[in-house]
Amino acid sequence: MPRNPIKDAVAIVGVGSTGFSRTDDRSQLALGLLAATAAIRDAGLDASDIDGLVTIGEPGAPTSAMFASSLGLDTVTHHSRPSPVVMFSIIDAMNAIHAGSADVVLVIAAMLRLPWASRSAANDPFRRRVPSVIPAIPESIAMATGYTAWASRYLHEYGVDREAWARVAVNGRSHAASNPLAVLRDRITLDDYHSARMIRDPLCMLDMDIPVDGADAFVLTSAERAASMPHPPVLIHSASVGMIGPNTEDQLPTFQRHGQHVVIDQLKAKSDFWIDEVDLFYPYDGFTIITSAWIENCGWCPPGQAGAFLREHWNDDTDTVLVNGKVPFNTHGGSLSEGGTRGTGHVREAVVQLRGTAGDRQVPGARTALVTPGGFFFNSQGMMLRAG
Amino acid sequence: MSAPTDAELIEVLAHLPVERDTAEHYRGYLRRELVFNRCGACGRYDAPMRPMCPSCWSWDMVPTPVSGRGILHLAIALHQGPPADGVDYAAGPHPVVTVDLAEQEGLRFTSTVVDCALADVRIGLPVELTWIERSGAPFPAFRPTTIGEA
Repeated sequence: MPRNPIKDAVAIVGVGSTGFSRTDDRSQLALGLLAATAAIRDAGLDASDIDGLVTIGEPGAPTSAMFASSLGLDTVTHHSRPSPVVMFSIIDAMNAIHAGSADVVLVIAAMLRLPWASRSAANDPFRRRVPSVIPAIPESIAMATGYTAWASRYLHEYGVDREAWARVAVNGRSHAASNPLAVLRDRITLDDYHSARMIRDPLCMLDMDIPVDGADAFVLTSAERAASMPHPPVLIHSASVGMIGPNTEDQLPTFQRHGQHVVIDQLKAKSDFWIDEVDLFYPYDGFTIITSAWIENCGWCPPGQAGAFLREHWNDDTDTVLVNGKVPFNTHGGSLSEGGTRGTGHVREAVVQLRGTAGDRQVPGARTALVTPGGFFFNSQGMMLRAG
Repeated sequence: MSAPTDAELIEVLAHLPVERDTAEHYRGYLRRELVFNRCGACGRYDAPMRPMCPSCWSWDMVPTPVSGRGILHLAIALHQGPPADGVDYAAGPHPVVTVDLAEQEGLRFTSTVVDCALADVRIGLPVELTWIERSGAPFPAFRPTTIGEA
């Protein structure tokens, strides 16, 4: 039986965001500092309170050492630079706090449109200096292409069409319309999805998250210390990052057992509640196939039936999914529409909703959230949050 | 022809990600052989090439040619993507497929398909190995299994 001695012991007490755009010319350091100072102030703290620093290793992002000196921190007793996708960093911060390595940990994620993912970014001489991480040849399904490849398998194995992905895309855009931080806020229809330009068949332009400039930051501390802070604390009830051994994109044995299943098994075993008692769901949507897989693997519907499920629980007035008329998905618009943040947007929005300060987007009475960042192969992740 | 040195291999295949652990896979291209490591202890093939068998931890990994026959397991069409010699996205989508190789269930290799209409590049299609030219060197690809061998 998985242990969970950290259950409800660590809280997210500060959030800060620059919002996201495709026209920013500020550096990752500048964007990260804007988000970091906003998150520290949001927590009612200042530089002298921060003794832990976790910087997400986005391509080109400054080190924790650079952020520590730029923020004028005094003494840092824990620092690290985990890979992108948010939960590697959240879990590192949690563990550092629970183990006593640091008392108040700042997590910074600074995203930049990169030259291989954005034509306009390729025209920026500064961005061209960031080393490429994409495969050298077309005949590879490493990295992003892996999701398209397994999307082809999903259609084949379940004999379904692209409806699930269309509804994931529309759901995100409908929510983004009321999120001032989001980069894409013009509503789209299912027809818009089906007429969108193919990029890697079977996935089109609207199946892929949108590269953005911007930053998110979080402040975490113990639940005990959180009790005296300005915002109601949001407690981390359980968290997991997982993978299976054969996780290379083209050698993954099946679509029916991968990192998502590992994470979900862990979260279920570590938590006092599951999706029947979840008020908010934040499935990752770097690609729509990832979202449909999270929906199915979390148990909202059987494998292969995400399309029918989303149709059945669709709210035509809002053009969003609302499970049993109650549970919304990705209320900020997701990476597809708010901007590609490798999951920081999903976490921030869950925190703001659980505080009850989401404004126009507020889901009344929301007390619990399931956040599932990352894909299938080596960055499947999840977290159960609850209002403290 | 004597086997090319590592330096010659990297120079001739400068367009491919040749690394120390995968060099024998790429050296096979120059002989028009598709080569993977096979474990001398347990007999299992491994892809990509790695120095130790993940099944039994033997270090007796033997570069071994495979037939190249298999079934399409994943199949997509790139409307845009990385540039490569002989790949013209403007002329039409470029198929990229992952093939389940006949030698071992789940042993897969990713390349493109030639001599096949794009509409026929579908999961389940039986294929065989063929060799195309890229940047002046042989490059492994697949084509539909030819009549007579099926």
